[in-house]
Amino acid sequence: MSHTAISDTGSSHLGDEDRQIDRYSYDDDIVRWFVFATIFWGLVATSVGVIVAVLLVSPELAGNFRSDVASVLSFARLRPLHTNAAIFAFAGNGIFAAIYYSTQRLCKARMWSDALSRLHFWGWQGIIVAAALTLPLGITQSKEYAELEWPIDIAIAIVWLLFFGTNFMMTLIHRRERHMYVALWFYIATIVTVTILHVFNNLVVPVGLGKSYPIYAGVQDALMQWWYGHNAVAFFLTTPFLGLMYYFLPKAADRPVFSYKLSIIHFWSLVFIYIWAGPHHLHYTALPEWASTFGMLFSLMLWMPSWGGMINGLLTLRGAWHKVTADPVLKFFVVGITFYGMSTFEGPMLSIKSVNALSHYTDWTIAHVHSGALGWNGFMTFGMIYWLLPRLYQTKLYSTKLAEWHFWIGTIAILLYIIPIYIAGITQGLMWRELTPKGDLANTFMDTVPVLIPFWWARVFAGVLYVLGIVLLAYNAIRTWMARPKTYDVPVYSTPRLSRGYVEHVQDSSPLAGVPVLDLATKIDRLNRMNWHRAWEHLPVKFTVMTTLAVVVASAFELVPMFLIRSNIPTINTVKPYTPLEIAGRDIYVSEGCYNCHSQMIRPLVAEKLLYGEYSKPGESVYDHPFQWGSRRIGPDLARIGITQQSGVWHWKHFESPTAMTRESVMPSYRHLLEEKLNFGQIEPRVAANKYLHPEYPYEVSKSEELAREQAEKVAAEIISLGGPVEYNGHLIKDSTVIALIAYLKRVGTDLFKTEEPAVPAGQTATPVAGIQ
Amino acid sequence: MTNLPPNQNPSAATQPSPMAHSYDGICEYDNPLPGWWKWLFILTVVASPFYLLYYHVGAPNRSVHERFTAALDANQKKKYLDLGPLTPDANTLVTYMGKKEWMDVGKSIYKLNCTSCHGPEGGGVIGPNLCDDNYKHIKKIEDIAKVINEGVAGGAMPAWATRIPDKNDIVMLTAYVASLRGSSPANAKGPDGSPISAWPEASASTPAPAKDLEPASPEKPESTKP
Repeated sequence: MSHTAISDTGSSHLGDEDRQIDRYSYDDDIVRWFVFATIFWGLVATSVGVIVAVLLVSPELAGNFRSDVASVLSFARLRPLHTNAAIFAFAGNGIFAAIYYSTQRLCKARMWSDALSRLHFWGWQGIIVAAALTLPLGITQSKEYAELEWPIDIAIAIVWLLFFGTNFMMTLIHRRERHMYVALWFYIATIVTVTILHVFNNLVVPVGLGKSYPIYAGVQDALMQWWYGHNAVAFFLTTPFLGLMYYFLPKAADRPVFSYKLSIIHFWSLVFIYIWAGPHHLHYTALPEWASTFGMLFSLMLWMPSWGGMINGLLTLRGAWHKVTADPVLKFFVVGITFYGMSTFEGPMLSIKSVNALSHYTDWTIAHVHSGALGWNGFMTFGMIYWLLPRLYQTKLYSTKLAEWHFWIGTIAILLYIIPIYIAGITQGLMWRELTPKGDLANTFMDTVPVLIPFWWARVFAGVLYVLGIVLLAYNAIRTWMARPKTYDVPVYSTPRLSRGYVEHVQDSSPLAGVPVLDLATKIDRLNRMNWHRAWEHLPVKFTVMTTLAVVVASAFELVPMFLIRSNIPTINTVKPYTPLEIAGRDIYVSEGCYNCHSQMIRPLVAEKLLYGEYSKPGESVYDHPFQWGSRRIGPDLARIGITQQSGVWHWKHFESPTAMTRESVMPSYRHLLEEKLNFGQIEPRVAANKYLHPEYPYEVSKSEELAREQAEKVAAEIISLGGPVEYNGHLIKDSTVIALIAYLKRVGTDLFKTEEPAVPAGQTATPVAGIQ
Repeated sequence: MTNLPPNQNPSAATQPSPMAHSYDGICEYDNPLPGWWKWLFILTVVASPFYLLYYHVGAPNRSVHERFTAALDANQKKKYLDLGPLTPDANTLVTYMGKKEWMDVGKSIYKLNCTSCHGPEGGGVIGPNLCDDNYKHIKKIEDIAKVINEGVAGGAMPAWATRIPDKNDIVMLTAYVASLRGSSPANAKGPDGSPISAWPEASASTPAPAKDLEPASPEKPESTKP
């Protein structure tokens, strides 16, 4: 890198002789901080991953601790910590490092405000720490990757949009490079879309600081959540990483990008189409079939736009492959981009309904996301960091050999992770649907669990290897940092300020000009030359508005019909709101993160009907804030648990020791729910919030505590009458927290089969459920 | 790192020169879209409306729910195709106890519904051991079906008639439970209730299906709706 001041005459923009020459330098301190945060949180995220993997193979581990400690050491509490840390802490800090480094250079401008940069950095680390403290304590919204409660959500919105977004947009506006490079387009899309997704998925009615109810319920909540969830993958784990790739790959390879035109087409198609794909997470659920079909079709259309990024990455290396053998940075990039290509082929494939019928709820999904997270996000980040370290610390990388080791250990770790987990997922999926010649189920749920254990052990081993790779990175980074110069050389650049009133010089030299063809042909040819887009590239505000429009319009097409058409969710008259005690119980279900292992959504598939009972109807979850349909069945589906397991005492003993009831169970003991006393005083405000969301709520709010105590006594009396204990941990069992949870479980999935007491007035008859299209 | 312009880089000799602009030293080629890429993209876009039309114009038997109902019916018919409706009388039960293929059916139903309380092999968990000679609420073999259908002990043993609506399923389940007697699974619970006399021997004649009963029908989800 040149350390002397360079000057740029402004290339092709002539006629601006009187432009003022600006002198400026780049803020690399902030990049250094983000790089270290990335490495640190990378270690944390993957280590927590190893811990939850271990808890899955030996759930009894936590039983060695006091029950309040054991409650924290449960898979369901820590798994959200793992996913949130991997996405928002590791990948998040990684993309901030990439954006702060590349944006300044692509704009020929220092970040607009050093203060905002620092507020962004410390604000984001504060949010991560808040997440790490609240999630293990069971303070969670229980919506995947949106688990953080509302005060943290507000902090995220402020840090993301006000600190980061403002700083970025103002830097764009004050740039000294006329046109915005493709990496910047992807950063714009990231900032805009993540803001929209985050805000609209997290609209809640708060009840105190640590609890809230989403304003959406059931089907609508599910649609919002997966609109968010899928696009978090798209706009947090894909677009910023494509931006990263477009900057750091050609820099590291010293090669021109393969195709400018491909960049344009795949950028816009990606941004527009990605938004629609969310419903493919809800195939065969109570989501209306048309929405699920749209999810599948748009996912298939997304295949090539995604591969456009891969092609532009890999073909940029044409003529530079000899460098890949020598440079660990390029090795990380090549493998990262290859995993991107694999995941974005697999994604559309998994979105095909009949494939999804097999893969959904199994480890196949887990293998899929890890090939994306470990391969694409992890390796692109590592490649970037190894490229940045010598430049940021203005010395040689401490050891290229260690970086090579990291690359090989990491690659082997990914393969050792995903291959066994693919096998586990497909095996379990096939076992679930296997029927005997007489049409009975060949396996119960528990028959399929022991089969997975060896594969889960392989995952533990692979996870440890991947962490080891990051340890090597951390060591390499620290040693490189130790060899830094006493003071960093901060080069000062000078560049003329951009003139106002710039008019895009359009090179209109179509070979069709003057040729006797239709006017239309000339127009298409011109459109195809992308000069119109070239003009957009020097208008950051217009570009941002267009990106926002693409995202908002596509979202509106997907979401609005769901909220407007009543027939999307046919009413079932026997489905009634939960009692106060059941609400308290449901809150425990949500807080413990039961959705991490149990779905509440039986699909209309023969094997599922035989295993779990009648398939779930959209009208059944209208009082579910949030919906708890789940996405993985490590344990069996619970949508009909109120029908299939009516015994309170069974639940009691099962929560105390799951393996005493089911020998092969991998569920940890929930003894702490038996030992703790339910806070009945908390029930009233929660019931009030439910009444606010559903004015027809039939129980009187002021009497909710009384009603809850009455029901708790009944539930406890039944348990005692069937041989359960009278007292536990020094208090009567009617006061145990678990009584509320048992009351809820005894209710789940039962309303559909109830007969209605009063007759339905004519004209208000519910739409027949079987007729949903 | 070498910093040759692409046109002086020997390996890039066949490449056209990059476009005029550069960003922080990054240049771009103006290569056309790869043909296969473009056509696959167009194909996925063009094919989608056809898929949508095929499944969503309202033609019969194409929706997920219709196909599910048909598959479920077909699966249910497969099971008792040649059997006709059965009643859980002593003769029927002891006859089917001796038929392995039907005891496999009984076992499937047992595993699905009974394991959580009576254990995978009938040794008893929270519910009593089904393998020894001691029984509660049961004096003769037919009583098993009655207990399964109606439940006992204030719901500790719930009534299964509504959840296992096919009467033949109840027969096969009863016969399977009766067949567990005399086995000795690991971790079995101690005896509970009082000892009863052995099950009757199977008679020579195969029990005839009860003609007057309704044919066994699969559970109709619609019937439970308001």
